[in-house]
Amino acid sequence: MQHFHHRIALEFTLVLGVLAVVACLPVVITNPYWLGVIIVSMYFALLASGWNLLAGYTGQFSLAPACFAMIGAYTTGLLAHYFSAPPWFGIAAAMVVAGGVGSLLGRIVLRLRGPYLALTTLSFAEVIRVVIGNSYNVTRGDLGLNVPGIFDSRLAYYFLFLAVLVLVQIALFALLKARVGLYLQAIRDDEVAAASRGVNVVFWKTAAFTISAAVSGLAGALYGHFSQLVSPELGLIFQTGLVISMVVIGGIGSLVGPVVGALLVYIASEWLRDVGGYHLIVFALLVILFSRFFREGLWGLVRRALAPARAPLPAATVKRGWL
Amino acid sequence: MSLVARSVTKAFGGITAVNSVSFEIAAGELVGLVGPNGSGKTTLLNILGGQLTPDSGAVTLDGKRIEGLAPERIAHHGLLRMFQHTRIFPRISALDNLLVAGRALGLGPQAALRKAEQLLDELRLREVMELDGANLSGGQQKLLEFGTCFMVPPHIALLDEPFAGVHVTMKQIMADVIRRRHAAGQTFLIVSHDMPVILELCPRSICMNAGSVIADEDTRSVLSDPRVMEAYLGGATV
Repeated sequence: MQHFHHRIALEFTLVLGVLAVVACLPVVITNPYWLGVIIVSMYFALLASGWNLLAGYTGQFSLAPACFAMIGAYTTGLLAHYFSAPPWFGIAAAMVVAGGVGSLLGRIVLRLRGPYLALTTLSFAEVIRVVIGNSYNVTRGDLGLNVPGIFDSRLAYYFLFLAVLVLVQIALFALLKARVGLYLQAIRDDEVAAASRGVNVVFWKTAAFTISAAVSGLAGALYGHFSQLVSPELGLIFQTGLVISMVVIGGIGSLVGPVVGALLVYIASEWLRDVGGYHLIVFALLVILFSRFFREGLWGLVRRALAPARAPLPAATVKRGWL
Repeated sequence: MSLVARSVTKAFGGITAVNSVSFEIAAGELVGLVGPNGSGKTTLLNILGGQLTPDSGAVTLDGKRIEGLAPERIAHHGLLRMFQHTRIFPRISALDNLLVAGRALGLGPQAALRKAEQLLDELRLREVMELDGANLSGGQQKLLEFGTCFMVPPHIALLDEPFAGVHVTMKQIMADVIRRRHAAGQTFLIVSHDMPVILELCPRSICMNAGSVIADEDTRSVLSDPRVMEAYLGGATV
């Protein structure tokens, strides 16, 4: 639709605008419950942004984002539990460990595509979740692991998550605005063509897996310190499904879509909590509707509405003979 | 930069698609590669471009062995290619399609942008440069893919059926670009079934049939070679 640099600059401005609005919300929302809801929606926004880099920009449909969040949460949790490591060290270690595991998974699934890639990443995620759940002596299994908090104030957590979300958006923008953004999209569209034009497909696909997993690990570690409890439930496939629905509804392959999708879907799901499990049916239907009719999600609808009408193209003229 | 194939062989199951093919293309040559469907031309190009690894034989680019190297490494060695079935990036703009090749092959951001804009003018695609690849016409997509081979001066460009299914105007544009680049010393290997185009563009041609090279000389001689007539017409006379 437009030169990618212009498109992503607009999306970055919009996502900063959305986060500026989020920064102002505590002025009107003082209820700790709803502040907590927005904090968790920012956790999902981090997961959605990380998964979007992999699936939306690079075309690698992984079903493991929640698994990497769980790995991140357990990394900082175990470090705190066994070594009394400070949270900041645990959070940094969570990014490194999740990124390392992501890099390994990326190499394993390098030649897999479509349903094979999805099934392999799903199997990987389930294996990790079951191993953590059954390693009672180390992880306390399904009972979960107590993790020390960082702050006493919910508002402090709110601005910590917001600051990290802004930093992740800045990092993703810087990454995508550089040549990497073009390479990842080229790989998404056609790996064979990308390689024949000089793009190192193996390296950049692995890099996308690594960065995406590191962002998920960061989100999981922050969430662990916020909730002060990590359990294998963090890695449930349901959590991954929620992340995917957020990205699809917000707009896959854009900077702003996953953030808006995560905020809208999670806040709406809490708002609809009174109607029981029916809200999940609503989100499932929305995902089907968006996948079928609005593949670019809410952001795609907005972009189309804003796109200027194009003048018809000039007719080509034959110069001479057939050659 | 010269491209040399020595006894290159590739089989799929029981079928030998390329059978001990040897040829040499000197720097600055413009060579046609012709042959009936299924003769092994595209398989040969896939081997030269790194999309396939030969079962045996050697391919050298200016003396360096390149067979079996990853395609991106071969591209960095200066061998760029266009595919028979158009391969562009459908979800990014035409301009970005060109920038991918430019940046990946070592141009800086400003140099890549300047080169891409120059190519868009040369290929008359500037009007559609902000459209996603998928929204271009089939001919424009062919032109765009053709353009990606020239973001950096290729040592050799392999063009697989660049003129197939393309409007005459776009054929003219591509032929003019090839002539200009060839006059400037660039090397080409062009696969085509369009014999008048091959006859006009390529001083020399190689003809393949059933995986083997059956003729390799000046284009007029190749096209009048009885073995080539036999391969194309199956013994029928016209």
